[in-house]
Amino acid sequence: MKQLQTDVIVVAAGLSGMAAGIAAAENGAEVIIFEKSNTTGGAANMGMGPLGVGSPIQKQQMISLTPGEAFRKHMYYTHYRVDARLVRDYYYKSGETIEWLMDMGVEFLGVQRAFNAPEATRAYSDGEFTWHVVKPEGGGAPGPRCATAMTKKMTERAKELGVVFYMETPVAKVIVEDGRAVGVIARDRDGGEIEARAKAVILATGGFGDNPEMIREQTGYEFGKTIFNFAIPGMKGEGIKMAWEAGAGRTPCTMELMYQLPDNMNHFILDGAFRQPCLWVNRNGYRFMPEDQIANTTFTGNAISSQPGFVAYSIFDSKLLKKYKKKGPDIISHVHPHDLFDHFDDQWGKDLADGYEPICQADTIEELAEKAGIDPEGLKKQVEEYNEMCETGFDEIFEKNRAFMQPIEKGPFYCCRQNVGAYGTLGGVKINHKTQVLNEEAKVIPGLYCVGTDACNIFGDSYPFILSGNSMGFCLNSGRIAGENAAEEAVEY
Amino acid sequence: MWLTIDDKQIEAKEGMSVLNAALGAGIYIPHLCGHPDLEAIGGCRLCSVEIEGMDQAVPSCMIKAQEGMKVSVHGPKAESTRKTAMELILATHPADCTGCPKYGKCELQSMYQYLGVGPERWKKKSRTVPTDDSNPLIRHLFTRCVRCGRCVRACRDLRGVKVLDFQRTEDGVRIGTDGNISLKEAGCKFCGACIEVCPTGSIMDALGQIREDVSYRESVVPCKTACPAHTDIPRYLRYIKEGEYEKATAVIREKLPFPETLGCICNHICETACKRNELGEPLSVCKLKRAAAAAHSDEWKKRRKTAAPTGKKAAVIGAGPAGLTAAYYLAKKGHEVTVFESNEKAGGQCRYGIPSYRLPDEVLDREISDILEVGVQLNVNTKADAPEVLLKQGYDTVLIATGTHKGIRLPLEGNMLSGVMLNTDFLKNARRNQIDDPGKRVMVLGGGNVAYDCARTALRLGAEEVHIACLEDGDQMTASTEEIREGRDEGIILHSGHSFLRITGNTKVEGVELQKVEKFYFDENRKAVIELVEGSRESIPVDRVIFAVGQAPAGMEELGIELNPGSYVKVNSSCSTSMPGVYGAGDVVTGTKSVIEAIAAGRQSAMEMDRYLGGDGDISEELLEKETADPFLGRTEDFGKLERLSPALLEPQERKKSFAAVEQTFTCEEAKCEAGRCLQCDLRLNLTNPRLWNEY
Repeated sequence: MKQLQTDVIVVAAGLSGMAAGIAAAENGAEVIIFEKSNTTGGAANMGMGPLGVGSPIQKQQMISLTPGEAFRKHMYYTHYRVDARLVRDYYYKSGETIEWLMDMGVEFLGVQRAFNAPEATRAYSDGEFTWHVVKPEGGGAPGPRCATAMTKKMTERAKELGVVFYMETPVAKVIVEDGRAVGVIARDRDGGEIEARAKAVILATGGFGDNPEMIREQTGYEFGKTIFNFAIPGMKGEGIKMAWEAGAGRTPCTMELMYQLPDNMNHFILDGAFRQPCLWVNRNGYRFMPEDQIANTTFTGNAISSQPGFVAYSIFDSKLLKKYKKKGPDIISHVHPHDLFDHFDDQWGKDLADGYEPICQADTIEELAEKAGIDPEGLKKQVEEYNEMCETGFDEIFEKNRAFMQPIEKGPFYCCRQNVGAYGTLGGVKINHKTQVLNEEAKVIPGLYCVGTDACNIFGDSYPFILSGNSMGFCLNSGRIAGENAAEEAVEY
Repeated sequence: MWLTIDDKQIEAKEGMSVLNAALGAGIYIPHLCGHPDLEAIGGCRLCSVEIEGMDQAVPSCMIKAQEGMKVSVHGPKAESTRKTAMELILATHPADCTGCPKYGKCELQSMYQYLGVGPERWKKKSRTVPTDDSNPLIRHLFTRCVRCGRCVRACRDLRGVKVLDFQRTEDGVRIGTDGNISLKEAGCKFCGACIEVCPTGSIMDALGQIREDVSYRESVVPCKTACPAHTDIPRYLRYIKEGEYEKATAVIREKLPFPETLGCICNHICETACKRNELGEPLSVCKLKRAAAAAHSDEWKKRRKTAAPTGKKAAVIGAGPAGLTAAYYLAKKGHEVTVFESNEKAGGQCRYGIPSYRLPDEVLDREISDILEVGVQLNVNTKADAPEVLLKQGYDTVLIATGTHKGIRLPLEGNMLSGVMLNTDFLKNARRNQIDDPGKRVMVLGGGNVAYDCARTALRLGAEEVHIACLEDGDQMTASTEEIREGRDEGIILHSGHSFLRITGNTKVEGVELQKVEKFYFDENRKAVIELVEGSRESIPVDRVIFAVGQAPAGMEELGIELNPGSYVKVNSSCSTSMPGVYGAGDVVTGTKSVIEAIAAGRQSAMEMDRYLGGDGDISEELLEKETADPFLGRTEDFGKLERLSPALLEPQERKKSFAAVEQTFTCEEAKCEAGRCLQCDLRLNLTNPRLWNEY
């Protein structure tokens, strides 16, 4: 068995792991990172950018939100059910972390909010400008995957600092001796075992979004039936299991809910096109929320999760489609292409011909309901009621924004089923504000840290979209906090 | 020669491309269609560089390095060509990385991370191609294909199999077979080179082939992984294919000292794991091993090494496959080894549990003498003292490998009648020629291989009618299908799915009462539950009954060590018992298992004991110089349809008259032919993995 010795071991080279590795190395520690893939960045390679509060970019754009305000807002949102000290330390660090990244050469396009609430609900759910979107290195507009420019710079920085990467070398186990984490057992590509010892071990494996069995056990959702989360290959929950095996306390795991179409990345145009405040109903044909809120993917995901069969249906008619094509969508998303409807006919025709199951088209409402699997009677009644309200110009039921009260009357009608989705999983391992792993009695397990998604217990029941960029933000900042603390523990001056 | 790349002087060999010269010198130039083991074609343009004296950016894979050349990797023209090339690739590649099985291990992903290309062209639709799961072992997900052509070059040039090619279709150029026929029909050899070189997730191992609980290399070569001793099966099959038996034997001998024995009787779980199962029947690995070993070449002994004496003494109790294997490797590590065997001959269950028509005495004798040759002292007819006593006598370590030699008598009415025997006694006495009268009509109770051993032995001893009865249904019996078939051919009457009610008779066995089983299962407390079919009771008149329902260790309490339930020796993961210095291995630890598992346990205990004695625990040996397998396979017509060969058997009427070996050894021609069916799953592991940017 190969033996290695170092100061700090980081398990997995995703965003949180690299942040931890860099921070530890910057503070004088020798660092080894084990990664089971051959590419760094993990799930962050699909993302767009992290949260920061009080960054130079925000200052430049005159965004006055302070870490203290963000902290208050976050705690209010989560009803103080999460670790206030950890939340506080995270937000106070987050602005400086953006600067830290910029020093590495990461460029940001600017700062954005996830969701622009309608006037009537702004007080409760308007997003703050905290999301720092990474500028693609080759230029061009941002979109999914643009955060790779950041993971690349971080990889380069880590290497420059002498962090040693063992790629395609998954870790199987944390070695615990006398109640202290002293190293890990890893396995190289050829199956050879490696025993690596260190003064601190940082777990950063990114949750279990790609482990249907664990999703069922921990959250009750059935992958591919009641939930269609991003199953980033490799997110198997090893870090959480290793931590539990080492005696870590358990925290409830949640799914970071939103909504999307099955296989949405291959049907991205439709994913965006139906994300409009048209008519949204459940399987019984009834409306279930004011559609002006559907850009809030978290709330809408929660709402769909409460409907029969965990599904909802987004419906518009030919007149509305014509309007979208001519004037553009009612709601412009930051994630989807802005010229969605220029490509709608192409994608719709092709997907309809291919039998893409969530969509259907019909000349009458009854036929549409039959095809989609909605209760025809219910839908018919609902459409009648809805069209009447459109005529009077006011939604008596949910007080949906008047501008979006557009009737569903001219065939053909278009329908797209919406499923519960999720970015991934959250939490599982109990940590303190230094990201040290705690046992069930909330006592520190010396030498063991857990960061990023595996330890993200600060969101409560729902993703705090009001402070957007939170997933990556927590990964980066918890990683840095762990790296700094681990280095302090490991390095003798 | 010397050239300059980005102001750095580097040395290159004559004829080297600029790309390879740079990569060799540790300077990264992006490249996708280029692969270390394949000819460059200059297709992807990602490796574009600027060279002083040339107007345009040029693909560095196609330009030969020249003395004094000045190359710039990151000049504006090169960067612009590269950026456009990458955008064109991404424009037809799905943005859906999250669902891609290659995520995190994808060269294209690493490449866009490195190049940081903007996603502005993503709205260009990717051309969806349905995923093709219709071929065995190989999945095609051509929606993700970037048409780099690596698979085509690997298949055509490197392997010479010439199955894959660029095909023109209505939807553009695709990878596929001529005429769009299946891989099997096209003559694919399923070597997996196309999977290995694919830089995206377009060509992948079929679902379930890559396991998560073992390493990649182990997943790719499942036969070797499944073998408890991890014998390098593809490597020795290649030698057998060439008729080089002495080399094949050396390869096998690197992992175990009983090649021919195993060639006769191994339970060959390697064959269950063989990937060729997906095409039809697996390789006849076990019988090929016999063919090689039966040539009795001693070539392997030339490189066999024995360490200088360490002055340490080891005692091994039991000369079965586990004990002898451990003794062999301990002796080779320089320890003085004494094996204690209570029977008159060594071999354990191989000798006294397996009939000689399956495993002839000469085979065992020969392989045991090879073991003794390295300096193992064998004391037969000797009952060993208890481990504690042996330690006091001066042995530094003791191995308990006494196996399971006690037959089990079921608590059944009539089980003590005269004419009732136990499997272990019956087989052992038969081996010693101590059975004068096997009876006229014999009933064996049990459904495993041992039941067949008893039944077929009884036939050979002269019984006129032999029955086997067991609880399990035909397809659930633990006996191998070969045993069941061969037994049937010899006339054995099988009553599967029957419960034994009682043995009838006053003082002597007169018959056995059986009743048909409706259901047989284990409940939640793992207790056997048997439901019977009413009115199906029958009585079979017999004068002998043999219990063949398992066996257990004997005399365990005298050992003075901690035992598991069932009197098995309790050991930890290092084979160590509760008494320091005393180890356990084989059936006496695990319960009755296969010979190959006993050998693997013997190896592991030898490593642990060597470490205990102050050694390094390394018993690996190289009995044959490593040769790199020829990457060229060439075409073989109807390769996918080649049928499994089986060695000839003696005619049933002939063989049941004597203890002559039933199964013949493969002829050399047969063996070459059968070994030629091997897919050589390990060959793809010789391909070089391109280094990604983050490894420079």
